[in-house]
Amino acid sequence: MADDEAPSDSSLLVIIVDTNPNQRYITEDPKVLTNCLDAVIGFANSHLMQKARNELAVIGCHFHKSEYLYPSPGKPLDVRQIDGQYELFTLVEKTIKMRLVNLVKSQPQEDKPGESLLAGAVAMALCFIAKIRRESPPGLRMTSRILIVTGSSDTAAQYINYMNVFFTAQKQQVLIDVCSLDKHLSLLQQGCDITGGLYLKVPTLDGLLQYLLWVFLPDISERNKLVLPGRGRVDYRAACFCHRELLTIGYVCSVCLSVFCKFSPICTTCHTVFKIGGPLPIKPKKKKMKL
Amino acid sequence: MSDSSKSKSSLNLNPSPTLQCKDLHEYLKSRSPQFLETLYNYPTICLAVYRELPELARHFVIRLLFVEQPVPQAVVTSWVSQTYAKEQAKSCEALSELLVWQEAPIPGGMPGWMLAQSFKKNLKVALLGGGRPWSMSSSLEPDGKARDVAFLDAYALERWECVLHYMVGSAQTEGISADAVRILLHAGLMTRDAEDGSAVITRAGFQFLLLSTAKQVWLFLQHYLHTAEKRSLSAAECLAFLYQLSFSTLGKDYSTEGMSNNMLVFLQHLREFGLVYQRKRKAGRFYPTRLALNMASGRGEGAEAGGGGAGGAPAQRGYIMVETNYRVYAYTQTSLQVALLGLFTELLYRFPNLVVGVLTRESVRAALRGGITAQQVVHYLQQHAHPRMHSADTAGVRATSALPPTVLDQIKLWESERNRFTYTEGVVYNQFLSQADFVVLRDHAKLQGVLTWQNERSRTMVVTRQGHDDVKKFWKRYSKTS
Repeated sequence: MADDEAPSDSSLLVIIVDTNPNQRYITEDPKVLTNCLDAVIGFANSHLMQKARNELAVIGCHFHKSEYLYPSPGKPLDVRQIDGQYELFTLVEKTIKMRLVNLVKSQPQEDKPGESLLAGAVAMALCFIAKIRRESPPGLRMTSRILIVTGSSDTAAQYINYMNVFFTAQKQQVLIDVCSLDKHLSLLQQGCDITGGLYLKVPTLDGLLQYLLWVFLPDISERNKLVLPGRGRVDYRAACFCHRELLTIGYVCSVCLSVFCKFSPICTTCHTVFKIGGPLPIKPKKKKMKL
Repeated sequence: MSDSSKSKSSLNLNPSPTLQCKDLHEYLKSRSPQFLETLYNYPTICLAVYRELPELARHFVIRLLFVEQPVPQAVVTSWVSQTYAKEQAKSCEALSELLVWQEAPIPGGMPGWMLAQSFKKNLKVALLGGGRPWSMSSSLEPDGKARDVAFLDAYALERWECVLHYMVGSAQTEGISADAVRILLHAGLMTRDAEDGSAVITRAGFQFLLLSTAKQVWLFLQHYLHTAEKRSLSAAECLAFLYQLSFSTLGKDYSTEGMSNNMLVFLQHLREFGLVYQRKRKAGRFYPTRLALNMASGRGEGAEAGGGGAGGAPAQRGYIMVETNYRVYAYTQTSLQVALLGLFTELLYRFPNLVVGVLTRESVRAALRGGITAQQVVHYLQQHAHPRMHSADTAGVRATSALPPTVLDQIKLWESERNRFTYTEGVVYNQFLSQADFVVLRDHAKLQGVLTWQNERSRTMVVTRQGHDDVKKFWKRYSKTS
């Protein structure tokens, strides 16, 4: 969505990692999560490697809450080099791993894992981007994007929240990229399409790092220079506000544009009362008969 | 027989040599392959080189990083869309120049690319870990008198300004060592006065002052490395250490343990220029300052505006306002900044905390005559623009520069006004005895594509320097046969 072609001075990337334990690839083999996380950390560091001014945030998204994994709030960890790795990269790796452990430990034991709060995590990411933008020195050209790495399937339950964050992102000129590890995600794909980001469903989890580096590493200005996977067809069905089901044809409130699968006399969103009872097409027929 | 008297026109091609400021890429390109090979054994250098690469080249490297066999060149070409083929070629060239990748044949007979082994290994180390730790990262007891970032910034600024002030008003020699003076002289930024042997600033020195701080540091260190080789310091080792510094964290202390004697000497020099802070010579620990950190992001042209950020310039506030009527207001007290402004503006008034000047054609042309480029003038104004200039809203249009566009364009126009001539070195042939001789020689030169100018009436022609030998031989042969 960014209209300027000139390469930016700095690029801000917020990665949202879905750590929900009920994702299929984790329930099948919990060890795969470590591999995926390593790939994400490697990718995050590659992003920081591109330019000295690039910035990074990582958000862990669980079923009970979302939390910043990097940068950690408060004082950063005191990291000393242990091997030849660049100090900053060691810091990123250590912080993410430590904070992720805390996040997983904090999950309520009695509850059954629910759905990942992805929309909330995207909202957090947008807030972070807004904060960084506000604090950045004037005259600095900065591009921002969000990458969602998830293996959950999308449900229409968060439909409204999704649409709100997608359109906010579009307005803020923030790209949303989605890397799906498991199923096809039609809702998130809509978000990519709205904000001008890329959507990729990886065929296999082996070599996840390579997929990430190839497709999602290029910055906005570099993307049109490289040959990258195309948009494909996007499923633009909306979900109804009453049962959160995806529809092709439905009822729309004329005031607030809420979508319903069944007719109701009062809009549940804006409480508008519809005076005409019964389906609309009947009325003109009656008028014609009178004339 | 006609005689062609040849008067060599030795035009001075570069009337005013402008200051050469190479970036890391150009610096490395001018070094020998063996030197590069040793450099790539340091993960820090690999990281720095990687960041200096063109953007497409960076993606090529990262895509090839985990590939163990050569990749066909055609495949690499297919990664970039056709419209950007030129940029792609440039990126490939940059990678070859720096020996980041080499050509390697693929079993099928196709030409392929393969990343240089040591570069690949050490970039992986920097990115993913492994290998030996960098020399300065031994663990330390917490420092009882730890220094904060603000202190380090102030220290670095003070040290560096000391060097700059020395250049302008050479009278004060305290706080600057003989070594630094030697480097300034070696770099041609200062020269010994013919009469009393004191160092005075040269034109190149003034151009140096107009550069951004990061560039100044880098240029200065380049010359330092030049002289370092004479002092039995290994340039590769020094460069690696410099980049280690540039990748360190501001406000953190590092240990000098395990550093060689040479490196300790080097560290003392860096301390003098304000790149590192050490409380005592034998303190065993040091703090890198923003000047050293800036090395890594040294190339960012407009990026330094405003300062701040992880790799930003020392927190020095902009003080120059430029209006659309070419007036320049500078809120400053230091004579250094006033002297610099005076290079390209006509100063009108001076108040205790404010200098007012105006950019005129004459004043800017005077600067241009002195070898300062329009780019340098614009960059200087931009770099020190007052924060208000950045936040000034230009009717919703995001301005590319903090300066008013009219002023920006006019300075560039004033420069191009001076560049109406293109100089070509050549040799004049004249005093031909017959028209026929002239025509034969002229046609030959024209056929060879070396004729620059000719006039049939005065029987004069000018041949380029390269073509001179050939035309001369032809003429000898021709005059013998006829």
